[in-house]
Amino acid sequence: MNNIIICRCEEVTEEEIREAILSGCTTVNEIKRKTRAGMGLCQGRTCRKLVEKVFADETGIEMEKIQPSTYRSPVRPVPISNFEEDDN
Amino acid sequence: MGRGYDVIIIGSGIIGLSSGYYLSKSGKKVLVLEKKDIGNGASGSCDDAILLQSKKPGIVLEMALESIDMYRGLSDELGTDLEFMSPGAMILIETEDDLRIMEDFVIEQKKCGLEVEIVGKKQVKKKQPHVSEGVIASTYSAIDAQVNPLRVMFAFANRGKELGMQIKKNAEVVSIDRNGSGDWTIGTANGERYVAETVINAAGPWAPFIGKMVGIEIPIKPKRGQIAVTEQVPPLGETNVWSADYIVSKLNPGKAKKREKVLEDLGVGFSFTRTADGNCFIGSTREYVGYNKNTTFEALQIMVSQAARFFPVMNNVSIIRSFAGLRPACQDGKPIIGEVATLPGFFIAAGHEGDGIALAPVTGKIINNLVLGRTNSLDIEELNFDRFQRKEGGVA
Ligand SMILES: Cc1cc2nc3c(=O)[nH]c(=O)nc-3n(C[C@H](O)[C@H](O)[C@H](O)COP(=O)(O)OP(=O)(O)OC[C@H]3O[C@@H](n4cnc5c(N)ncnc54)[C@H](O)[C@@H]3O)c2cc1C
Ligand code: FES
Repeated sequence: MNNIIICRCEEVTEEEIREAILSGCTTVNEIKRKTRAGMGLCQGRTCRKLVEKVFADETGIEMEKIQPSTYRSPVRPVPISNFEEDDN
Repeated sequence: MGRGYDVIIIGSGIIGLSSGYYLSKSGKKVLVLEKKDIGNGASGSCDDAILLQSKKPGIVLEMALESIDMYRGLSDELGTDLEFMSPGAMILIETEDDLRIMEDFVIEQKKCGLEVEIVGKKQVKKKQPHVSEGVIASTYSAIDAQVNPLRVMFAFANRGKELGMQIKKNAEVVSIDRNGSGDWTIGTANGERYVAETVINAAGPWAPFIGKMVGIEIPIKPKRGQIAVTEQVPPLGETNVWSADYIVSKLNPGKAKKREKVLEDLGVGFSFTRTADGNCFIGSTREYVGYNKNTTFEALQIMVSQAARFFPVMNNVSIIRSFAGLRPACQDGKPIIGEVATLPGFFIAAGHEGDGIALAPVTGKIINNLVLGRTNSLDIEELNFDRFQRKEGGVA
């Protein structure tokens, strides 16, 4: 049993990530879609590398060869009120 | 090369996986070929609504009604919590003109058996305590629902696999040929070949490329939708909400001309839904920009400003990410579901535009019936691919 939390924002454990891989996830994007690891408030800044490490360990794929998960703006949380003031 | 499978499905979006699941359940030997991974297409970047209210009476509404019934039992059937919920939905109305048009629309929908009504300002405030004073009325339907599309896809995939379905990822289909015994030989970019009696094109917005491989023109185009995602927040109101502005502009071309140009150009129709995890999805646009899946600041700004206009408390909430997806939009607004008459054994299940999540279970069921040669309870004749060939060729 490995209950170490890998994604703190979404409270996803190492075991859940390993289970996702065993159930057939073959990319870190798929792991994200399946477990929500990386979809939290910090948008994976804290957990992205850790998820990749578990993925590398479980699949035997080298870290450098792993296709990183996609992420899009804003890269940091932006209050909605800021969107309105900014007019370009 | 002998036949390895009964059915090969091209594309592991929600439509391909649903079809694969129901066919596997019927005992067919199924192979799903996916260009990249699960969630690569529209089904991995979309909203979560099963919205009946936005539909014009007709086959799509009938399909949606059947689908919602199927979803009710699907979590149990698939052994996964699909986060199916029926919080109902409201379409917020801001002007007297829009109200009149929505009143007529609601009467039409009621005739079709949909439970929907117009509620006044007081009722709106009761259900949506944070809504702005600018909202004068709203529609309300208790039946509108939502589901987590990612969970639906993984559940169809996993249950399907338990029933013997195979899924090959990183397997982009590049050729389709009819072989001597009448079967189809499918070739992938990494040089593999598979043979099956039946092929199903479930490639969503990419369905036309698959069509070309067998010499047909499928009139589906990618229509981009952008969405902004908020941090997790407590519920703002009882239901998910949409704005009448966009729906009215579709029903009444005169209104479209009066809308702000940028709203019209981007096809912005305001939607605001809260997921089971508490993140709100603020959407969305309808843009023809090819296969470009980027988000733009201009669109995000318009959408989040609308959220703040309808719900001023949203000003205190943060956007944590954005994404865009490509709706498979068919020329006449209806999906293509069925066997291509000139190509026996070649089926299409694509073009669901903004309704593929809502329509996934019923589409899978219809495809299963068609492949097995069973009759469907719904009359799906008008969804046949031949409707386009008839028009162009002029033959009845
Ligand atoms: C912003 C947005 C909001 C939406 N909101 C809703 C909503 O609230 N409710 C609703 O019901 N619907 C909604 N939709 C629509 C819904 O997402 C789509 O209708 C649905 O996902 C289509 O599913 P699909 O399986 O047909 O296509 P896709 O999910 O796009 O799947 C097609 C698959 O085919 C694969 N593929 C393509 N070419 C090949 C090839 N050559 N070989 C092998 N594989 C290939 C792709 O990689 C992809 O995985 C929304 C869409 C968007 C973009
Ligand atoms: S730690 Fe995973 S999203 Fe923040």
